Formats: sequence, C-alpha cells, structure tokens
Amino acid sequence: MLGTYFYHEILRKTVIAFGTLFNDIHIRHNDNTGKSISDMKVALAYGPMQKFLARLEQQPDLNRATQITLPRMSFEMTNIAYDATRKASITQTFKASDGSNLRKVFMPVPYNIGFELNILVKLNDDGLQIIEQILPFFQPSFNLTVDLVSVIGEKRDISVVLDNISFQDDYEGDFATRRALIYTLNFTAKTYLFGPVADTPEGLIKKVQLDYHTNMDRENKRRELRYVATPKAVKDYDNDNTATLTFNIGKNEVRITVNDSTNFSVGDRIVIDSEVMRVESKPDATTLAVKRGFSSTAKAEHLENSKINKLTTADDNLIEVGDDFGFSETSSIFTDSLQFNPATRTDS
Amino acid sequence: MALNPFFLQGSPGEQRLIQNLINEQLQIYGVEVTYIPRKFVNKQSIIEEVQSSKFDDNFLIEAYVNTYEGYSGAGDIMTKFGVSLKDELTLTISKERFEDFIAPFLNDDEYELATRPREGDLVFFPLGTRLFEVKFVEHEQPFYQLGKNYVYQLQCELFEYEDELIDTGVDEIDREIEDEGFITTLNLVGTGVTATVSANVPGISGYIRSISLQNDGSGYTSVPTVSISTSRSIGGSNASAVAITTERAGVFSIKEVVLTNAGSGYTQAPDISIIGGGGSGAIATCTVETTQKGVISYTVTEQGRGYTTPPVITVAGPGSGTTATASAVIDISNTILSSVRVTDPGIGYTIAPTVTVADPNIITGRGNFGYNDLVVGQTSNTEARVRSWDSDTKVLKVTNVGIGSTVSGFIPGEELRIQTGIGNTGLLLHKTVFTAGFTTTGRFIGAGTTIISVGSGNTTRFTVGNDIGEIENIIGAGVTVHSVNSFGSIFLSEKTLNTTHLTNQTISVGTTSFISYNIRQYDNRDIYDEYTENDEFELQADEIIDFAESNPFGTY
Repeated sequence: MLGTYFYHEILRKTVIAFGTLFNDIHIRHNDNTGKSISDMKVALAYGPMQKFLARLEQQPDLNRATQITLPRMSFEMTNIAYDATRKASITQTFKASDGSNLRKVFMPVPYNIGFELNILVKLNDDGLQIIEQILPFFQPSFNLTVDLVSVIGEKRDISVVLDNISFQDDYEGDFATRRALIYTLNFTAKTYLFGPVADTPEGLIKKVQLDYHTNMDRENKRRELRYVATPKAVKDYDNDNTATLTFNIGKNEVRITVNDSTNFSVGDRIVIDSEVMRVESKPDATTLAVKRGFSSTAKAEHLENSKINKLTTADDNLIEVGDDFGFSETSSIFTDSLQFNPATRTDS
Repeated sequence: MALNPFFLQGSPGEQRLIQNLINEQLQIYGVEVTYIPRKFVNKQSIIEEVQSSKFDDNFLIEAYVNTYEGYSGAGDIMTKFGVSLKDELTLTISKERFEDFIAPFLNDDEYELATRPREGDLVFFPLGTRLFEVKFVEHEQPFYQLGKNYVYQLQCELFEYEDELIDTGVDEIDREIEDEGFITTLNLVGTGVTATVSANVPGISGYIRSISLQNDGSGYTSVPTVSISTSRSIGGSNASAVAITTERAGVFSIKEVVLTNAGSGYTQAPDISIIGGGGSGAIATCTVETTQKGVISYTVTEQGRGYTTPPVITVAGPGSGTTATASAVIDISNTILSSVRVTDPGIGYTIAPTVTVADPNIITGRGNFGYNDLVVGQTSNTEARVRSWDSDTKVLKVTNVGIGSTVSGFIPGEELRIQTGIGNTGLLLHKTVFTAGFTTTGRFIGAGTTIISVGSGNTTRFTVGNDIGEIENIIGAGVTVHSVNSFGSIFLSEKTLNTTHLTNQTISVGTTSFISYNIRQYDNRDIYDEYTENDEFELQADEIIDFAESNPFGTY
C-alpha cells in the first residue's frame, strides 16, 4: 500500500538548517592588560556519527597528546513528534510547478523535531560568551526559510523554538574528577513532512475564456458576450533587438531617438532595460514618441546604445512560471446562437 | 603518656638515608618526564578561573609510574563531542629532587606558587609522547615514614587543550599540539613582479583634454555610470570615464570624474551624463584638444604581483608640450595592477611614450617563519602564533590570533613581520635574516679582542658595516664590521666572547633584514580540524536556506 519511493531529505535539511545557526560563534581570550590574544571559532558538529569513522578521522595516529580540544559544540536530533496544532486538511492538495510541468502535492504533515545542542567548554567564561551570543536571537523562536522540497521549490518558514537551557558544572567533589562544564540547550524545530509529489496531466492555464448568457437556459438562449484573458509579457523573452537608442534618455523624456523607427507601429509596447513603454506616435524615421513607465514598470534613465525590444505575442507565449505578467483582455459580443464546445475548442 | 624516649622515630640521618634511597630507586626504575609549570597570563576574579595560560619552561625529572600496567581512567571513548582520550596516570616524584632542582626556578612573579608541584601544571610523558595535566598532588602517601614524607604523587589526566601557549623550547613537546586548536590560514605574497604598461597615442587628434566637475551632486550612495557621447569622426574612438564618489557628513557626492580613455576624433566637446548611483544633480563638462595628440589610454601588458597599494605611474614627456600623468588601480585581493586611468592626457605627443610603473611594496617576501614565532600585522596590529610555514606555497598556518577590539583580524595587503621582543619604542625588535652575504672560515684572536683573521685574500668581501652572524660563545648579537686591514684582519664593532684562540670558525657575513611578507589573503576558518563541520553546514545550508532576511548569526 505504502511504498511509492520518494525522499525529499526534509529531516536532513532541517538538521542542516539548525546546524548553520550556530556555525559562526566565536570566543575571545585576553591577557591581563585586556588585549585580545586569541580568537577562536567554536567547533560545531552533528554529534552522532559512525564510531569507526570518528576514530579514523579524529585519531588517525592512535596516539594523541591531548584529551580533546575545546570549546566544542555538538547537536543531535532527539525526537520527532506530530504537531496537531499546525495540521491542515488531509485531503487538501496544492499544485506547484517544477519549472516545466505541474506537480500535485498533498498538504504536508507538521512535525516537531527536537534538537539538543550541547556546548562543552573548558572555562566558565567561554560558556558564558557562547550562550550570550545565542540566547538573544530566540524570542523564544527564530524563523528560518528552508527550501524543503527542492523539486517544486517549496520554501517553508521553520520556526526554531528555544525550549529550555540547563547546564552541568561538576566542580564539587574530589580532585581526581575533572570539572566538566556542559551547557545543554533544547530546541524544537517546527518542520513539515511532505509526501510524494505526483505528476499531473494538467498544464498551466494560459487562457481563460468566459461566455455570458442572458438567461439560465443555456440550451435555448443564445450567448451574448465573451471575455477572454491571456497573459501579457512585461519583459522581453525573444530578444528581438528591433532598434537601439542613439542618445541617453532621462526619466521623463517622452521623445526618444532610435537608429531606426520603421519597424515600430503606434500602439506597440517596447521595453528598454526593464522599463516598458508604449509607442504613441512616430514623428520621423529616427524618433519615437512614447508613454513612459507602462505596465506599472518604473521610469528610469537609459544609456545610449541600449537595446529596444518589442513585446509581441511571441513574448507572451514564452512567459515562464513564476514570472510577473499582465493580462490581455478581449471582449466579443455575439449575435449567433452557437455554443462553445470545450472538447473541440470550437463554437458549434 | 609521652613516647618511649629509648626509641628514636626517625632521626634526620635516617630520613636523609631514606630520601637518598628513594631518589636512587626513582633514578633506576623511573621514567624521565618533563615537568612544565603553568604561567597565568590572565586570571579572572569572580568567576575564578585562569583564562589564558602559557607553558614556556621545562624541567627534566625522574618519575615512577605507579600505574605500571598502563594508563588508568576510561581510555579512549566516543562522546557527543567526538573522540575523547580519558587516560590517567599517577607519577611519583622525589620531594627533595623537586625542591632542589625545580622549585628554585619557579620564583618568577608569573608563578602562583613555587614550593611544590602545582595542580594545573603539565607533565610530558615521553613513552606515550603525551601531555598530562596534574589534577592533584598527594603529599602524604606513604604516610610519614620515620616521621617525614619523601615523595609527591602526581595524579594526572590528559591535557584538555584550548589555546594555551606551549613554548617550552623542546621541539618534541611543543610540536605535540601543532595540529590542535583553532588554526587559521594566511596566504602571503612570495615574490613581487613589477607591472608593465604601454601608452596609446592615436593617429588622429580630438581627445578630451580635461574633465571638470561643475556640480558634485548629492545622494550618490553607489558609483554612478559616466556616459560620454560618442565620437562622430571616422577612425575616432569613444571616450570613457569613471566617477569617484565621496562622503562628507553623511552627504554622498561625486568627488571627481577620471578618464579611462580620452577618446579621439571629437570635433567638439561631447556631452557627459552622470547616471544612476542613487543620486542626482552632478554635472561635468570637458574640453577637447583638436590639433595636437596626447596619451588617451593605457594598456596593462603585465599585471605584476605584490601590489598592496597603488604604485606611482610615470609617463615620459613629449619633448615639447605637457607631460601626461596617470593613476593606477590595483586588485588588492590578487595584489595585481588591474588598470591605469588617465589623469592628464598631456599634449604634444607624436609617438607612444615609455610608461614606468613603480615596483611593488615588497619585491620579495623574506625569511622563514619558525614554530611558535609571534607574527604581527603591521597595519592591523593583529598578532598570531605560527603553527607551520610552507615556504613553497607561502601558506602560513597560525593560531592564537589576537584581533584586538578595534580590528577584525589581518588585513589583506598589510605587511607581516615577526616580533621577537619589545624595543624601546614599541614593536621594533624583529627577527632578522641574512638576505645576502657569504660564509667563510676564520680564526678568532685572543680573549676579548676584536679581530678575526681570515687571511689577506679573503678580506675583499668584507665591507665596513656588514653584519656578522652570531656564533655561540664567540660573537654576540648585533656585531658589525668596524674596519678591514690589508693583512687579513677584520676588526669588529664589539669584543668577541671567546677566551682562547679559535680557528676554522664559520663566519656569516651580509646584511640583515626583517622577516617580512605581505598578506595576500586571510582565511579565518579552521580547515584542518577533523571534528569541526562549521564550513560544511554553511556550504550545504547555502543551497536550501533563503537568507533574504540575512543571517543574524553573521555572514560567515
């Protein structure tokens, strides 16, 4: 029943995201005049590891002159618990694009991952330096935005909550036992586990067509009005380089000088850098009068020799998933009695 | 009831005998360990701990290994924090030997206590080449034999290393921690190479003679683009320039506009637009020279190496007219000359003049670093201790980087020197090396005299003022050649230290210099430690974490 293979590495990513929070903590030591004489980055590693690997890597010569090098931090995943408070409906799905195709994903299951961060220090002051650099950022949580399912680019905010802090300082007792200073910080990372990502036969919607009837009786009463919306590009995709600017233009200049204006028509949308303009008139063969800052783009200065691209239906067809775009709207009024057949996509 | 007066519970003679027997036994059955006392560099009150320590002395002493079957303790164990070696060792040393041969040397102000072995000191155990830290000194075991104690028992555990300076002078001990601790990397500039540049004088005139800034504008928080209208003549070339911004009292404006190419074929002064950069209002105009020719641009033919500050560029004059001037732009991370800008194109040139680029700050990095040498960045005053030096790749591994409170570590481009002591006026005494010179053999004459006899033929290479290398018990530091006579005698600036005539001594002669390199790059990560995965986390997290709101824990 179960057994569709998938592995988004979500738990691993949560471990990495958690680890990266603490990988740049430093401690410093001074001499008795207050001058800094040592700056150390606190070593961090994921605690659990294969025993033979640990020995091969950390003790390659068998002999080692010292017991351990401090300070060190290690963390590990301590528990995985379902979080009912963040649960969404189990039947709910959402669609996402992997760049070319549409994929269907069920809503993820919210899970809380418990992490324990341990800090082993030689000196109490080192521990205080480290702790003080961590605690202010958790109030009591800190959010990380993680790309949990890379195939659909699903970025989720993972809240890392600092639950409690404890520390162990064995300074009492006989002198045969060395003092151990270990700070333990417990965190909960609120992550989401995603199931398999399914392919769908559905494509991206690139056209919406709506027929209006004046009566509920669609069979007998004729349609009156059709509204069609299609995406309209607000940037150039086909790099047509229809012309180039021959002089710099300022933000508010509406007459621009180009090397050749013959390939433009009044009403054309053109784009220079990222500003879209509409051709209002063509006074001569090297001048265009334009409306600036069209399609909600920002007016900007442009340099001589900038490329001028025309925005055409070719560009509209090349709009990619995730891009910003506008809409081309057309309305038609009918007097015929035809019906639209979705199967054949014709009026009959 | 008092003790029986007819029996003596240990006379001083008997006590001495036992002590001598113990000393002898320890010397027969013991192991020769090195006792390394701890000096407190910084002791904190309230929290009561020694934050920084150094171990720079060593005393050999014989010790009996009580745990003769092996180390005690938990052995090598796997912990949350990696592999930990929990070996313990108990050593017995003679009380008398310690008091006679170690304690008298521990009367320095830097030592907390001088009379007995101290907890916190180190013992180098040569059989396992390990550093043990004394945890506890037991002085009453065996318990008052004949009324006195004769030994100390040192209960030791392997040393937990952090950033303590271990500089005992015994290489075998000091290098035990060569790969331990937080080690960062300095890449130094080896040999400098002088850059070469050629000047371009076009076939036609019509170049921008000068640019003047009429209005420096405001709000230029980033560098704006300078656009100069194109040259309309056939065979002409377009001029280009860059703007240099400045900030005064929070107002960002244009400081100057510098030509990168003065162009050619302009018949009238072109328009100059200053666009972008977040500001507005800047206006620049220019004048054009339409009859004579000048140096309109420069081509860097060899980028050189070792430039940490922009070098001076000198352009040869035109014969009659105005000499062109230029300024250099360097790429400090690679220490190369990246481009040359036209400060003044000059006037009256007919052919391309010769361009001379000044030598890099350091033509050759000099000398070799030694283990534990203290190196100091001459601009940032950052200090560090040398862990290893690769003279081929010019990679210097350092630890204990003291970056102070106002600087953030070594600055690329600054000079790095070794500090061996504090001079009268600050950080002046530096380790010197012979950068040139030769060695010869000679004969030192007499006690306290100042002469070396090398034979008349060999004196030709001695020059007054030359430095003479130190020779133990013969020549001290800082000796120079005072005078040379034609009979083969060299007179020195100081007396020689030997008391008899010595022959066949190798004498080094030459000039001395600082050990000095320029820093190309400082990598403040520890890429050598096998435990740490800080870097790995960063690398993998960069692919999955959206830092659009930046990482509050630093940018790594």
